[in-house]
Amino acid sequence: MTDVLEVRGLRKEYPAFTLGPVSFSVEAGSIMGFIGRNGAGKTTTLKSILNIVHPTAGEIRYFGAALAGNESAVKQRVGYAGGAVDWYPRRKIRDILDVTRRFYENWDEAANRKYLDAFSIDPEKTPRELSEGMRVKLNLAIALSHRAELLILDEPTSGLDPVSREELLDIFRLLRDRGTAVLFSTHITSDLEKCADHITYIKQGRLVATGRLSEFMEEQARLGAGADLEDIMVWYEKEDLREKLAD
Amino acid sequence: MKNLLIKEMKLASSPLSYLFLAFAFMTLIPGYPILVGSFFVCLGIFQSFQSIRETNDILYTVLLPIDKRDAVKAKFVFVCFIELLALALMAVLTALRMTLLRDAVVYATNPMMNANLVYLGFAALVFALFNQVFLGGFFKTAYKFGKPFVVFIILSMLLICAAEVLHHIPGLEFLNGNERLGIQAVILIWALGVYAASTAASCARAGNRFEALDL
Repeated sequence: MTDVLEVRGLRKEYPAFTLGPVSFSVEAGSIMGFIGRNGAGKTTTLKSILNIVHPTAGEIRYFGAALAGNESAVKQRVGYAGGAVDWYPRRKIRDILDVTRRFYENWDEAANRKYLDAFSIDPEKTPRELSEGMRVKLNLAIALSHRAELLILDEPTSGLDPVSREELLDIFRLLRDRGTAVLFSTHITSDLEKCADHITYIKQGRLVATGRLSEFMEEQARLGAGADLEDIMVWYEKEDLREKLAD
Repeated sequence: MKNLLIKEMKLASSPLSYLFLAFAFMTLIPGYPILVGSFFVCLGIFQSFQSIRETNDILYTVLLPIDKRDAVKAKFVFVCFIELLALALMAVLTALRMTLLRDAVVYATNPMMNANLVYLGFAALVFALFNQVFLGGFFKTAYKFGKPFVVFIILSMLLICAAEVLHHIPGLEFLNGNERLGIQAVILIWALGVYAASTAASCARAGNRFEALDL
């Protein structure tokens, strides 16, 4: 499988927080779950790989080419959604789509209508009239309409009801089967167990593990960290507390 | 750039930016510091920046497949579009005051600034100040606009006061008259040059700042 995204030695330094170094890669037609507790650096990582924040160090490559110098071309092939659509809440969806489509060379109007219909999104409505789940789907519809080969989603399932979350995971699986790669961050571990092929786990800005989910689970079971992702994550997150209590 | 401009007009801008163009008609008010009209046009543009912040326009824009500097340029082009529309409207109304309404009673004894070529020049300077102070200041953060707008208010009021005072100084009465159009035209061309040069410089600096911002 070819990598659609390669992240090597990504670092981002803030006065009170340092992310990285973080390295991982996302294969074409696969689902990568990006996990960590709140404040671990998931959003900073995703924003860094899209150059929304500027990494202090590291290399980011999409489709074999560096992001630096190719940002516009890369964004033609990548869809990003920081969860639900949270822009232009009072503009009609039809108007937002009419403007958005102009920027994408591969915008497929028929596909756009199909996804809006499939997700039951009325283009005459405004984003503020949609539920959280519907706004996540609107973001997905936009990304899919320009035939994004990689979707990067920041906590898309947070705040959704169980049915909406399940629907979203179904969509991810469908996209994977069609060859689209999905990288999504979450702290809801059960979502990953249902659909992820790979995971990347960060804790306090540092990479704990990255690789195939099945191999990660087997290894953690051997280490006695736990039998499911939630147990493993809790085990790692309580590591510091255990060490402090042991001193 | 064309698509970004369409985005500015259809999604990002506030209708007040267009409605406040009507303040250009202050050019016709007798016995009034008519240069204030150019300040109100800027206030209308400021409403668009409130809308830009409230609607997360900046984040939407940087996620589009565009060069980030073009996002800044599009904002400047939109602002200049409004300002030049206002200037064109003011120019038509000024021409009206300088010709057909030249002898109108209400304008005969006007202690305040008259509408003439110098007035248009000062209006261009108010817009230049807005582009330098407000737009330049906004793109330091792409979020905070209160301080740059307050600084613009203070500086533009000082400029308007200076413009109202200058023509009362002996020897500078021509600044407020309908005569000596040659030197008035020179002043207008100089002011338009200042507008173009300072706006271009502010746009370039804002582009560099925006490129380096963490959003």
